[in-house]
Amino acid sequence: MRCEEVRSVLPELADGEAAAPEAVERHLRGCAACSGELERYRALLFQLRALREVLVEPAPGLLGRILAQVPEPERRSLLRRVAADERLFRAVLSVGGAVVGATAVGLLWWRASRRAVAAGAAAEAGEAA
Amino acid sequence: MVEPELLARCRRGDPAAFEEVVRRTYRHVYTQALRLVGDRHDAEDVAQDAYLRVFRGLAGFREEARFETWLFRIVANAALSFLRRRGRFGELLTEPEEGPREEPPNPRDREVPGVGDVLAERDLLVRALEALPPSLRTVVVLKDVYGLSCEEIGQELGVSEGAVKVRLHRARRRLKMILERAEARHEAEARDEV
Repeated sequence: MRCEEVRSVLPELADGEAAAPEAVERHLRGCAACSGELERYRALLFQLRALREVLVEPAPGLLGRILAQVPEPERRSLLRRVAADERLFRAVLSVGGAVVGATAVGLLWWRASRRAVAAGAAAEAGEAA
Repeated sequence: MVEPELLARCRRGDPAAFEEVVRRTYRHVYTQALRLVGDRHDAEDVAQDAYLRVFRGLAGFREEARFETWLFRIVANAALSFLRRRGRFGELLTEPEEGPREEPPNPRDREVPGVGDVLAERDLLVRALEALPPSLRTVVVLKDVYGLSCEEIGQELGVSEGAVKVRLHRARRRLKMILERAEARHEAEARDEV
């Protein structure tokens, strides 16, 4: 493989998510320039990942502007709605749970009573015979 | 870090709790927005929009996911919406042209990894990211800075996983080229000064 071909696949090999084809591996073992290029891509990815830990300090007024965009009364009413939604959600969950529970009990009772009726009918048929 | 107790206070309608959530998270939100849109002023707009979305979406947040993960997605969506609104929608969806394919001067002569102190390198990298077109910057930031998978990024952007991989390839190449050119310039300037 030529250096140009190998270099065209280095950007995606650098993160190690895909294995390098054997021919590329062989080339990299014997070519200091291309393996140096791969190391530079790896260094770039390392620097990019490190950016995640770096916080940029915003302009001083940002926090105030974020909080001011929802005035206090609106914030209260919105949060009350959130709280009401939360209670509604829990109520729906409770009612839903109760309905499922009642259905399950009803189903068991219905099956048990059907079995009893069937057993009674079988006994009567036996006696008649 | 936002604890479940603080979120529970938000849900009970406590405005002070919401303010506390904003206080604890706004630097992260602003930084993430800045990385994605590449401009301080635009990042402030994105951060403000993101908190409106958080405020209105709190009722739907059920803590199956971590709050920080949920917030991250909201900021990413707010940033992508911003870029679309700013007329960069086409740029986000279409494949960018390949940059010039020239190689940096004498790459074999250079040390690996690059020279220079960490802060200067980081500053250079941030400026290189800002110089990328939005379609490349958003992909490389979401993948290589914040660790999303190509599939997840495709879902966020509304493009295929394959398209994300192509952009990632181009973004990494272009970033490396920009950094190497800048390093070469620095070295040339340093030589001239001697």
